[in-house]
Amino acid sequence: MTRLWLAGLLRRQPMRIVGAAIGVAVAVALLASLGAFLAHAKASMTARAIDSVAVDWQVQVGSGADPAAVAKLVAGLPSVQGSRTVGFADVSGFSASTAGTTQTTGAGVVLGVPDGYAALFPGEIRTLAGSGSGVLLAQQTAANLHAAPGTKVTISKAGLPPTTFTVDGVVDLPQANSLFQKVGAPPGAQPSAPPDNVLLLPSRQYRSFVAPLAKNRPDLAYTQVHAKVTHALPADPAAAYTAVTGAAHNLEAASTGAATVGDNLAAALDAARGDAAYAQILFLFLGLPGAVLAGLLTATVSAASAERRRREQALLRVRGSSQRQLLRLVGSEAALIGAIGCGIGLGAATALGAIAFGSPSFGATARSAVLWAGLAVIAGLTITVAAILLPARRDVKEHTVAADMEQVVTHRSPGWSRYGIDIAALATGFVVFWAVGRGGYQLVLAPEGVPAISVSYWALAAPALLWAGAALVIWRLVDLLLRHGRRPLGRLLHPIGGDTATLVGSSISRLRRPLVRAAVLLTLAIAFAISTATFNATYAAQAEADAQLTNGADVTVTESPGSAASPSYARTLATIPGVAAVEPVQHRFAYVGSDLQDLYGVNPTSIRSATALQDSYFQLGGTAAQLMHTLDLRPDSILVSAETVKDYQLTLGDLINLRLVDGRTHQQITVPFHYVGVVAEFPTAPKDSFFVANARYVAHRTGSDAVGAFLIDTGGHNVATVADRVRNVVGQGAAVTDIAAVRGTVGSSLTAVDLAGLTRVELSFALVLAAASSGLVLGLGMAARRRSLAIMRALGAQRRHLSTVVVGEAGVVGVAGAIGGVALGVLLANVLVKVLTGVFDPPPSQIAVPWSYLGALAILTAACLVVVSAGTLRVATRNLLGVIRRF
Amino acid sequence: MQPSDIAGTDAAGAHAHRLSTATAGTPRAVLGQPLISCAGAGRTFGARGRPVVALYDTTCTIVADDRIAITGPSGSGKSTLLHLLAGLEEPTVGTVTWPALDRRPHDPGHVGLVFQAPTLIPSLTVAENVRLPLLLAGHTTATATARAAAALDLLQLEPLGLDLPQQLSGGQAQRVVIARVLASQPLAILADEPTSQLDRATADHVMDVLLQAADEAGAALVVATHDQSVAGRMAQNWPISDGRLLADEPVPSLTRPRPTAFGLDDWRTGS
Repeated sequence: MTRLWLAGLLRRQPMRIVGAAIGVAVAVALLASLGAFLAHAKASMTARAIDSVAVDWQVQVGSGADPAAVAKLVAGLPSVQGSRTVGFADVSGFSASTAGTTQTTGAGVVLGVPDGYAALFPGEIRTLAGSGSGVLLAQQTAANLHAAPGTKVTISKAGLPPTTFTVDGVVDLPQANSLFQKVGAPPGAQPSAPPDNVLLLPSRQYRSFVAPLAKNRPDLAYTQVHAKVTHALPADPAAAYTAVTGAAHNLEAASTGAATVGDNLAAALDAARGDAAYAQILFLFLGLPGAVLAGLLTATVSAASAERRRREQALLRVRGSSQRQLLRLVGSEAALIGAIGCGIGLGAATALGAIAFGSPSFGATARSAVLWAGLAVIAGLTITVAAILLPARRDVKEHTVAADMEQVVTHRSPGWSRYGIDIAALATGFVVFWAVGRGGYQLVLAPEGVPAISVSYWALAAPALLWAGAALVIWRLVDLLLRHGRRPLGRLLHPIGGDTATLVGSSISRLRRPLVRAAVLLTLAIAFAISTATFNATYAAQAEADAQLTNGADVTVTESPGSAASPSYARTLATIPGVAAVEPVQHRFAYVGSDLQDLYGVNPTSIRSATALQDSYFQLGGTAAQLMHTLDLRPDSILVSAETVKDYQLTLGDLINLRLVDGRTHQQITVPFHYVGVVAEFPTAPKDSFFVANARYVAHRTGSDAVGAFLIDTGGHNVATVADRVRNVVGQGAAVTDIAAVRGTVGSSLTAVDLAGLTRVELSFALVLAAASSGLVLGLGMAARRRSLAIMRALGAQRRHLSTVVVGEAGVVGVAGAIGGVALGVLLANVLVKVLTGVFDPPPSQIAVPWSYLGALAILTAACLVVVSAGTLRVATRNLLGVIRRF
Repeated sequence: MQPSDIAGTDAAGAHAHRLSTATAGTPRAVLGQPLISCAGAGRTFGARGRPVVALYDTTCTIVADDRIAITGPSGSGKSTLLHLLAGLEEPTVGTVTWPALDRRPHDPGHVGLVFQAPTLIPSLTVAENVRLPLLLAGHTTATATARAAAALDLLQLEPLGLDLPQQLSGGQAQRVVIARVLASQPLAILADEPTSQLDRATADHVMDVLLQAADEAGAALVVATHDQSVAGRMAQNWPISDGRLLADEPVPSLTRPRPTAFGLDDWRTGS
């Protein structure tokens, strides 16, 4: 009997099965796709964290231990793929004589670097000028000494005669912080900044250089074994962190105290763990509303056929079917819908995964694929049970045959409405949002070195409560408007339907329950699309801002250390085809007290023509525009980092004396500035402390207008091509970088998440849900009214009369859904961006609005309403008799 | 015998005076003038491979004040003939014309239709349902309201005016449909199995109301039914079998006297 029943359903009422199955499929596909995103994102973060590390382990050889033995122990580990022994020696300072003047620096470090080191650890040393081997001077030291390849640099050693070397090349040490870490010291005891002055010697020269120092002052020389370990690690950053940490501890145990591991790889994975937790939160924030919406859609589709199902049950009962038999039939129908829905959903997710992430699997590993597919199927079956099986079971259990043959519609307010649950949810949502905001929206706490991560899922309650509360409030409002608005509605429809519009207004008012449901579903779908799209656009804008902060502009020309490019060179660059604007930026090093920091001299009136300055880059003193205006009006103004403000107890207006190198004498001179604001981020500036000042003032006081970098704006077009043209013009004398190349390499590991793939998946689902909410739900409502339209037609209604009904209903759903959806979408987008502040780097100063997507959403929603309305009108005059006689 | 031989007889001269109550502007039929004419009209359903003839070539004429029962078992073609007469279906052969009408038959004010199941719009009240065809015909709200109220009053349904159809019994709902027909003052009332879903007592009452309404409107009444007791109350009986209209059968006697008034208080609450 069950088979016969299901075969009959598929043959006679395929849309009843397919419609509900599609709803289930959307939820399954969305969850499986987002699961795929999460797994993919975690794997991407792990890979990114691994790639970001130049030297995986820095194994410090203990005092008195044999470096060769430690090196042998490290090299012998199965997880170690290569290792080199590096010497470190603390020296008193460096000096060099150039252009008739002698410059001297403070204390520094000399490294002994073995052959093949740069090849094994390519990320540790970057050649800027001259040779990549031999005696290499760090960029900042070269700037301090005005040294270049060929310059003789003298090293002062404690209690020993100085030693002189000829510089072969100038290098950058991108990971100086980790290279000069205090191995084994807790985070709080680490040096606040790497040494300002560094010289790298080949191993042979280093050995002869360090031998007398090690003999006299063994405390000033030490040895590290740098190792590259296997990167075959678990895809999850947390698991990879555990694996790497375990291996490092194993090495320390095996060395019996002779070795202490500076585990750079674990440190990178440690940071990625927090980002992975954020990715999980993103999944919950952005994915669950869509899945819940798909579930509501399924319930609505199922409810559309509930009346027919009840009649069938009534007929079967009249013909002697037992309650058990009816339950079996209902269960088999639900199982069929669940199976079809899950199958289609997993198939769609597989296809989406292949398109969006380049992988047809639901996760980075087979285990995660099975896990996510299983979870998505469970969610799909839960929706099937909740939306189809339970209502049908309730009908079987509670309805009598007589009741099933009636169509009693009660307009009693639902329980949540009578008790004000909607208002309470909305108010609680705002309270939770406020409470979470007090904590600075710190959703993820991943204490450094501690395996456990704390995720504040409580913060989820704010958007969840706002989402649910606002949806119910919109339900209440639309219901209220339709209940009391039959006359205004009739007047609005009068131009189409004449005097029949009054009756149509009354009809819509009495049919408000399904219309309100459709309007609320459309509200939720539009809100989902708007909030998701806005969040994603803001995320993308901030990732772009991050790339621009790192690179400085679309294309950046960075002058070699020691070069003295004139600002007038900007005019030459401006003539290159594709260049929209060029802005010279000075780059100096300035001492504040004993602390050496970068200083950027800018032209405050024109800097924004070549690069974007967001208000969020500045924390005190005003907006970006206001602070640039201040720099222009008062040239001795200076913007300072928050850390410097704190360290030196500065208040706005304070005088700061910086020591800068005079371009004429090459000697340090004191230049007075006045502190006017706090800068957190600035194009090309490092993450730590730096200054921003007026370039004219700096040039005037130091006698040099030498430019450190030229920021080039291309208008965002043909960046790579313009960069190539610029390279041809500037030649080898300067480094040319473009934002396209930088995009893929900057930012936190969370930025490495393939957000483009996630965006494609989510926004596609948002459009599908909006189309289904507008078209499908309204269409189902119209289908339910088809008999009424046929009766009207049989009574002599013309097309305009039928249009009044269709336009009235579509208008109510469309207008209420659009207004509610936009309001709720904007609210949720703001809440999401606030609550997920930790995801953004830098934090956004304003929300990015994806107008093109929103336009497409509006067009699609309107098109669905129009198509369904036109289709309803078209079929309203077909098969009148068949429709009228259907009962 | 050819169906043309069974053209309606002029048996209702007594109703001629009622035609004067027709709404101004609505064309009224003259006694004896053909309202609906079928000339060799037939209807075939189904695909080309397996055609099913529902009604063979039929020729007949309906004139004002006719009281005709089209009788036959289920599937005999009586509903098909009725739908052709109402213009709800197009004949596949032959023609159906409405000589007394200036527009399509289902335009308001021409042909009133009563179906097997009540055809009320569930989201409109009883009064609004009755008012609807008048508004569709272009009457003002005031006129439609007045005529609907009069029709409901005539059928003693006014107390139900604010009820929704779902609150009515089957008999009450059919009576509202008849009131709606009456309010439109049609030239012909075509009823397709109007009592088949009702119990005997309710069916008799609905037929009383239907006949009364036809009298009030001065309209021809054609009822398709398989119920001989219903057919027995009509002046003519057109039996139909396997899609062929047979000879007119004599009506032995009315099985129940025609009601003299709408004083049917015992039906107020329906069945």
